Amino acid sequence: MAVSQGFKTDLLGSIPSLRAFALSLAQNADKADDLVQETLVKAWDKHASFQPGTNLKAWLFTILRNEFYSQMRKRGREVQDSDGIMTAKLAVHPAQHGQLDLEDFRGALEQLPEDQREAIILIGASGFSYEEAAEICGCAVGTIKSRVSRARAKLQEILQITGEDEYGPDAISTQVMGKPAA
Amino acid sequence: MKDMIKTSTADARQRRKGSGDLLGPNSEIGRKLRQYYDDLVSEDVPDRFAQLLAQLEQAKPASKKD
Repeated sequence: MAVSQGFKTDLLGSIPSLRAFALSLAQNADKADDLVQETLVKAWDKHASFQPGTNLKAWLFTILRNEFYSQMRKRGREVQDSDGIMTAKLAVHPAQHGQLDLEDFRGALEQLPEDQREAIILIGASGFSYEEAAEICGCAVGTIKSRVSRARAKLQEILQITGEDEYGPDAISTQVMGKPAA
Repeated sequence: MKDMIKTSTADARQRRKGSGDLLGPNSEIGRKLRQYYDDLVSEDVPDRFAQLLAQLEQAKPASKKD
């Protein structure tokens, strides 16, 4: 079966989403674009295994994610912290009146373990259902749910966001922990 | 450019079914997450990807493989 024009158009249309997901995973623009490139090549080769009418985006995200983890394994799971992430961490300060700087948020996101970060991105930003995210990550729906919830709790903790719900730090610990030292 | 905008709104529409209350509009984390991600989605796509697809198309033109 020839690769159809429609498939190519759909691939082109998916690139912005793929890049966003790749950047969220790799936290590095060059690596992210390499991941997207690999994903497109693989998708092209495997196009016959894609079932038209099913979710192309989920299919592509699965390929990209597999590629990301296989590259990480090849590199012996290098420390992610090589590109100024430490600096970003230091910049995090308490949110004031719910105004949260995007840079701070990015820094906080980078501190999450990959499995939690990808889960919260897939569910909270990429628009996948828990079922779809579970399929993309090759795990149970409950696992995705717990990763999202841990990711969210961790982000709230790092960014010191309070008052959103009962999972947030309580008022006293916020008073103790939340004030800048100077 | 058009494609990017289309993808972006498709993401926004699609994610309503996913995020649930935990990361909904009342959640600061949820809002920042979407802002972070939408910024990435709306970045300009480098030409290399369109070129790559054109190359792939040339390498495998209307192949008869199954």
